[in-house]
Amino acid sequence: MNKTWYKEFDWLTILIWMSITAFGLAGIYSATLGPVSQFLPAHIQDNFARQLTWVTLSVIVIVFIQFTSPRSFQQLAYLIYAIALLLTVSTLFFGVEVNGARSWLQLGGVRFQTSEIMKIATVLAVANYLTSRRNIEAVNLKSAIIATFMILMPVIIIMLQNDTGSALIFIPLIPVMLFLSGLPYGIALFMISPAIIGYLSIIDWQYGVIATLVLTVVIYLLQKRPWLGLTSLVFGLLLVVSVNFALTEILQPHQQNRIEAFVNPFQDPQGAGWNIIQAKTAISSGGIYGKGFMQGTQTQLRFLPEQWTDFIFCVIAEDFGLVGGSLAIMAMLLLLMRQLSNAVSIKTPFAQLVIVGVVTILFTHILVNLGSAMGVVPVIGVPLPFVSYGGSSFLSNSIMLAVCLNLHFRQREMSLFA
Amino acid sequence: MTHPESSRRLRTSLRIIQVIIALVFVLFLGRLVQLTVFEYDTYNPISERNSIRRETVNPSRGLIYDRNGVLLVENTPIFSIYVTPTDFDRSNIPLLASLMETSEENIQDALQQAQNFSWHRPSRLFSEVEFDVFSRIEENIWRLPGITHQIESKRVYPANVKAAHVLGYLREVSDADFRTTNIYRLGDKAGRTGIERTYESYLRGETGVQLRRVNAFGQGIGNYSEGILDLAPVKGANLEVTLDADLQRIAEQLMVGKTGGLVALDPNNGEILALVSSPDFDIARMSGRVDPEYLAYVTSDSTRPMFNRAIATRQPPGSTFKPIMGLLGLRTGLITPETTIFCNGGYVRGRLYRCTAIHGNQDLEEAIMNSCNTYFFHMMNRVANTIGLNEWHRLIREMGLGRINGIDIPSEQAGILPDSTQMDRIFGVRQWGLGDQINLGVGQGVVSATPLQMALSTAEIANGGYWVQPHLVRAIHYDSGETEFANPGRQRIEWIRDEDLEPVRAGMRRAVTEGSGRFYANLASVPTAGKTGTAQNPHGRDHGWFIAYAPYDNPQIAVAVIIENGGFGSVSAAPVASLLIEQYMNGEILRSNLFDMMLNFVPRDSDIER
Repeated sequence: MNKTWYKEFDWLTILIWMSITAFGLAGIYSATLGPVSQFLPAHIQDNFARQLTWVTLSVIVIVFIQFTSPRSFQQLAYLIYAIALLLTVSTLFFGVEVNGARSWLQLGGVRFQTSEIMKIATVLAVANYLTSRRNIEAVNLKSAIIATFMILMPVIIIMLQNDTGSALIFIPLIPVMLFLSGLPYGIALFMISPAIIGYLSIIDWQYGVIATLVLTVVIYLLQKRPWLGLTSLVFGLLLVVSVNFALTEILQPHQQNRIEAFVNPFQDPQGAGWNIIQAKTAISSGGIYGKGFMQGTQTQLRFLPEQWTDFIFCVIAEDFGLVGGSLAIMAMLLLLMRQLSNAVSIKTPFAQLVIVGVVTILFTHILVNLGSAMGVVPVIGVPLPFVSYGGSSFLSNSIMLAVCLNLHFRQREMSLFA
Repeated sequence: MTHPESSRRLRTSLRIIQVIIALVFVLFLGRLVQLTVFEYDTYNPISERNSIRRETVNPSRGLIYDRNGVLLVENTPIFSIYVTPTDFDRSNIPLLASLMETSEENIQDALQQAQNFSWHRPSRLFSEVEFDVFSRIEENIWRLPGITHQIESKRVYPANVKAAHVLGYLREVSDADFRTTNIYRLGDKAGRTGIERTYESYLRGETGVQLRRVNAFGQGIGNYSEGILDLAPVKGANLEVTLDADLQRIAEQLMVGKTGGLVALDPNNGEILALVSSPDFDIARMSGRVDPEYLAYVTSDSTRPMFNRAIATRQPPGSTFKPIMGLLGLRTGLITPETTIFCNGGYVRGRLYRCTAIHGNQDLEEAIMNSCNTYFFHMMNRVANTIGLNEWHRLIREMGLGRINGIDIPSEQAGILPDSTQMDRIFGVRQWGLGDQINLGVGQGVVSATPLQMALSTAEIANGGYWVQPHLVRAIHYDSGETEFANPGRQRIEWIRDEDLEPVRAGMRRAVTEGSGRFYANLASVPTAGKTGTAQNPHGRDHGWFIAYAPYDNPQIAVAVIIENGGFGSVSAAPVASLLIEQYMNGEILRSNLFDMMLNFVPRDSDIER
């Protein structure tokens, strides 16, 4: 290793990682060991200690990963992907069911969520596939389809585990990875347009129509291909119609309730709207400076649902207010920005794709989690990276980050052989 | 892969992704600012409402004392165990059963009932548990999630006085009361009958408010702001009633086993000294946990225990009506004290109206003493032919008959004192004649009165012609220390002249010393005046009446007693009334053998008077 290795290492990322972790630990402590603990069973009160253990383990793993060669990620990518797929499939049969989802594999005394390993495995495998051979870029329709299939495999298996939230996390990898490997801007935009149109249609069908028109114009201007513009327009309008049809006709009543609760929580404040109202109330009532550590009444009086996992941001915002909440958000933004900047500086496409894949996964988590907590997307239960309680999630996120650090730290070894 | 164009495009793509991510984060920051700054006023109140619960604190209900300061009604804490079924762990049933010292089956049954009511709201699992059971539950409450305990209050009656129809009882407020007022909460109790009902607003007091910090499960976790915002409840006002507890008790004992009612009042101010309706019920058993069988008996038995005969039974007053007739005759000039009428054993006017005996020449005093029907048939004939029925009605109505006198407990009845309109209604327009009126002169026919009205008219004769407002509460003692005294109405009845009262009183005095009252009502200890009466009852044995007041010179008590189906007033009602006078004037019963005899009184079919 280089004598001046410490100058090469990205200490800033470690610092940001530590501060986000600190926010998480503070939130978990407040949510499980504050005055609220009197209403919580003993095993929940142990969550903080368990999380500390996982953080410690993660530090060891991060350090360990820095000693591996970046090339080994590329070499072992398919193997890791295959093993991860095997584990995920076996979870389907031998897994432990928690909260209705069969997504945990029990090994000895430790439970592990196999979909977590699947994330980094998928990113590595797809990045490797898209960059391993010459002219295999996504402009080539066949390779684009294969890459998409590689991403959809885990999505389907995890869906079968009945863990929709985790499965959804993989979807954004498709447009982002393909976009990075050369997919034209217009087509990439066309690929993500259903998400934007669908989201706006849920709020109001008129927004959906407006989004369709705007996106169609932009796509047309980018690609200058009339058939793509026309497809975009027809497809977008069909989506608006089908979303509205699905909302009223196809979805089960409890799913309709959840959507309705997102659009207008005060329709049923004691029922479907309860979680959203209580979460928003926790954040809002924190005010600018917060109610103080372990002083948040929404948290301590148990009004918050899932307050040490999915709604942990509410705990932080309630205790530390706008100041603490925005610091946490900015730390997360900084973490992602730093990785992307690192990716720009690296010359190896494989490393760049892996980093962007990791960033995409982390970003999707943050988007869905913060969006749910602040009532801007329908409630979908996914953890906030490095903040929510959950060992396997924390460890797998740390591994993903460690791989990014490694690819940046030892980028010369990659480019040497590239 | 490595050619410059491709890597430039990759860098651009990375920048685009950076920009998109940054934009989303800016949106999140904006949303955070929106929530914490601009919507703070919307959501912070929700947060406060969430964590603070307004609990109402029930005030303790006012106590009731008798005229001598004897405590009649007070409160006692009762201990209740509540369960919220959804929070209750069924595996705790054996523990709960052992703490409650009951069987597991009992617990399961009670739990089932609670579940039927609601899974999520607390229901009473057991009420009125023993204090030591209650404290055992309290010590172990942490082992029993879903179980809560509460101290409530019920009425107790320490004075060994039932006074069921006077005091009344409490019941949970009806749905209608609950909705139309904003005073009560569901499950609150309010006075349903008697004084408890009339004086509900005084007795109830004002509910207090306690702010408590609670969690999402509604579990209280302490006071809010050290209780500075709490509002202490205001204790209900204590009532001082006009009843004499000893007299009331004696009266109740005398009426056991009989059907009827009695009213004893102070003729000077209308204070009710005793008021009994029989059969009655045990208000202590109507307090707190009520045995449903007993409730069914009280509310729907054919003997109608709830019916307050003392103020609501309407019976012909019979001969007790004669003193009133005498006053009326003197005032209207139809007779003078010296006017005599020859009694030949009856009065013939179209038909024969029977008298009880051949009395010979009778003046008013003698006619009252002997209860001579002939005299009053004769007089009523003259009333009908001169002043007319409507004038008769107007004058007697002023004495309180045929109308509500406004006693301060519910369900008072007016009785019947007919005028021509009413006669038209009863018999048909112009379908009635003299024959239907002559009977009225001896308190028979279509005239009826309540014991309260007869006691009141007796009081008017005793007190020199004043209508006095009959009432049961003489003072309201507020918790603040202030006292509000009852200000009962007292009104001179203009047409009653002092000189007219003399022969009537003398007749009533002689009715006791020489007439039909001489057997049981002629007290050695107190000079008493009175009049017996027997109301004809087409449905069975006649009803016995007795009205009396004493002492003769300085009246302190006026009594009216009716024993339904008791036969003659002289043997049924008169002993009861005279024993009450004896008790009230001497403070004790002197003729204990008569008292014992009356406890076991059985009406006889003898024929001494009519």
